[in-house]
Amino acid sequence: MNRKTRNLALTGIAIALLAFFIWWAQGNLDGYKIQVTNLVAVNAILALSLNLIYGFTGMFSLGHAGFMALGAYVNALLTLTQDQKTTMWILDPIAWPFSVMHAPFFLSVVCAGLVAAFVALLIAIPVLRLGGDYLGIATLGFAEIIRVVLTNLSSITNGALGIKGIPGHANLWWNYGWFLITLFFMIRLINSNFGSVLKAIRDDEIAAKNMGINTFFYKVVSFTVGAFFAGVGGALMGSLTTTIDPKMFSFALTFNVLMFTVAGGLGSITGSVIGSIVITVLLEWLRIVENPVTIGSFEIPGIPGMRMVLFSLALILIILFRREGIMGMKEITWDGIFDRSKRGGKSE
Amino acid sequence: MKLSKVFLAVLLVFVLVGTACAEDTIKIGVYNSLTGRTAFGGQLELEGIQMAHQEVPELLGKKVELIVVDNKTDKVEAANAVKRLTERDKVVAVIGTYGSSLAMAGGEVAEAAKIPMMGTSCTNPLVTQGKMYVFRACFIDPYQGAGAATYAMKTLNMKKAALLIDVANDYSVGLATFFKQSFKKLGGEIVSELKYNSGDQDFTAQLTEIISKKPELLFIPADFAEGAIIMKQARELGAEFQIMGGDAMDNPELVKIGGDAVNGFIHTTFPYDATMKDMSPLAATFTENWKKIHPDKAPNVNAALGYDSYMLVANAIKTAGSAEPDAIRAALAQTKDFPGVTGNKTINATHDAESPVGIIQIKDGQRVYVGEVSPEM
Repeated sequence: MNRKTRNLALTGIAIALLAFFIWWAQGNLDGYKIQVTNLVAVNAILALSLNLIYGFTGMFSLGHAGFMALGAYVNALLTLTQDQKTTMWILDPIAWPFSVMHAPFFLSVVCAGLVAAFVALLIAIPVLRLGGDYLGIATLGFAEIIRVVLTNLSSITNGALGIKGIPGHANLWWNYGWFLITLFFMIRLINSNFGSVLKAIRDDEIAAKNMGINTFFYKVVSFTVGAFFAGVGGALMGSLTTTIDPKMFSFALTFNVLMFTVAGGLGSITGSVIGSIVITVLLEWLRIVENPVTIGSFEIPGIPGMRMVLFSLALILIILFRREGIMGMKEITWDGIFDRSKRGGKSE
Repeated sequence: MKLSKVFLAVLLVFVLVGTACAEDTIKIGVYNSLTGRTAFGGQLELEGIQMAHQEVPELLGKKVELIVVDNKTDKVEAANAVKRLTERDKVVAVIGTYGSSLAMAGGEVAEAAKIPMMGTSCTNPLVTQGKMYVFRACFIDPYQGAGAATYAMKTLNMKKAALLIDVANDYSVGLATFFKQSFKKLGGEIVSELKYNSGDQDFTAQLTEIISKKPELLFIPADFAEGAIIMKQARELGAEFQIMGGDAMDNPELVKIGGDAVNGFIHTTFPYDATMKDMSPLAATFTENWKKIHPDKAPNVNAALGYDSYMLVANAIKTAGSAEPDAIRAALAQTKDFPGVTGNKTINATHDAESPVGIIQIKDGQRVYVGEVSPEM
């Protein structure tokens, strides 16, 4: 059996195992654990999308929350029923055609991604002429603009009141389905010629230009694709929490996604996934330190906020001892597992 | 590469498994903003709830266990918190939270889990809209907005009003909209309607514009910190109109930040204040007990609403004679004239507690409870 068939078979088995796990989880885990498992998938999609922009192409973008907001709002407007929309828009009546638009969930998530990607394209053309920290500032500004526009367009977005009662279509199957689509797409993209160009731009843009690469084009495409998946992630997140408002998409959200990506390892697909799992689970699991604890006759009262102290400590430790993140730029691959000498080789 | 990932995921999910104790207790969950932007209100509400719990620690012969979870003033966290309470801790009822957007996220989860939720101070009408299992111990923004408009028109006799709205704050836009509707319906005129964003520090541009329109009244449904700054700047610019606000202004800090500028300011609130005259005996006992437990902290309306929320749930469990979520829900929906610290509570068809709207005026740096108003909707 050659390596290619072996890897294909192993990938198939892994997906089957994941499907089995989801099937099992739905019947056996309680809603709280399912919620956390769902969040893991959504966060992984977001971390992967930012990793494409920042980790693989080297563009320091802080606009993720904006693209997520667009995705979440498009999805909400497309999946809410007409009835819900008319009763919920109490500030200004909802504007046509937003009042009557409706789409099935899959299509609405795709639309969410496309709208985010389209806006990203508009932003990318002027902004990607900047580099480094300047790009960070400019994209941060655009994310804020998107948020402020959403706050003020109350006949479309219901303004600061937000939207509630979004149909909770985003169950484990959808979230992990989208996660696999994102993962597959990223792996194929990164291992293609296109991916090599992106890495070349990241490592040395001037050298890449000298090789005759139209770096601007590649950067725009990478930024747009990243934004597409950010929009998808935002749509799934909105559908998961069933309620959204503009305040949710502040800079803190971008920071969260950045944290998954950096803690996992910039420029590592495996890293982004592991980072999302570890941080999402850790954040919830650490709630135990906020509960009152009884040790012998001592009773320590629960301190709200303690969780964030420990969580920050964990982050500091990760960055102190593994500055490149959990995975660095390495990947876990089938070849790497079976063929120790070629560790860190190609994925799939 | 996927195999190891799946394995890791399974492993980590197992780590989440907590311990569940099978004692014979009634578990009531509390989720509130104990950290984050609105921690001030959330903490006070929790202290109110805990005080009520100390007074009624047992129901139907069983101990009541309070399980407190923080929501970090974050929507996703609020949904997680309620999921945790209903699914993992298996509570029979949930109390919380400060902040309507948080209550909406939590309410969705409670509704899906079929566990009754008692909102403390979430006044946005959308919180209970179309919900079977979501209630609240407070009145709603349309009611309060109408109360402010009625007071301005009937008692103060003012016909020209201006609005300054925090456009990024759901509470502010909601209250402003309903004030506007009622004020116009009662025959008033809105001469100016300007906006700002939460966190703004300079309001002179908007205020100059408003002053030029010569209103008799400026309605600012703002949070107390921004409200105090607005008043300061308005007085510095020479504005002489009356300023009114909503229940978010009901905070002792207001006078500290605003100084002299807040004198004469009127705001609507829930009918409770530690300084109010002719307090109901219940409110008097509450104030007294609070001062015993927290000698260095004055009780405010949030604490009182937290207290009332717990008492409403406790009362529902008592009248239902059962701690089954559905029985509690049914009993809560039928609550009528339940004596609370913030007035007698009747849960209406939309699951909001109807109680009169209180009016507070700041006089010489002191908050004076001047009376109550019945809104003309």
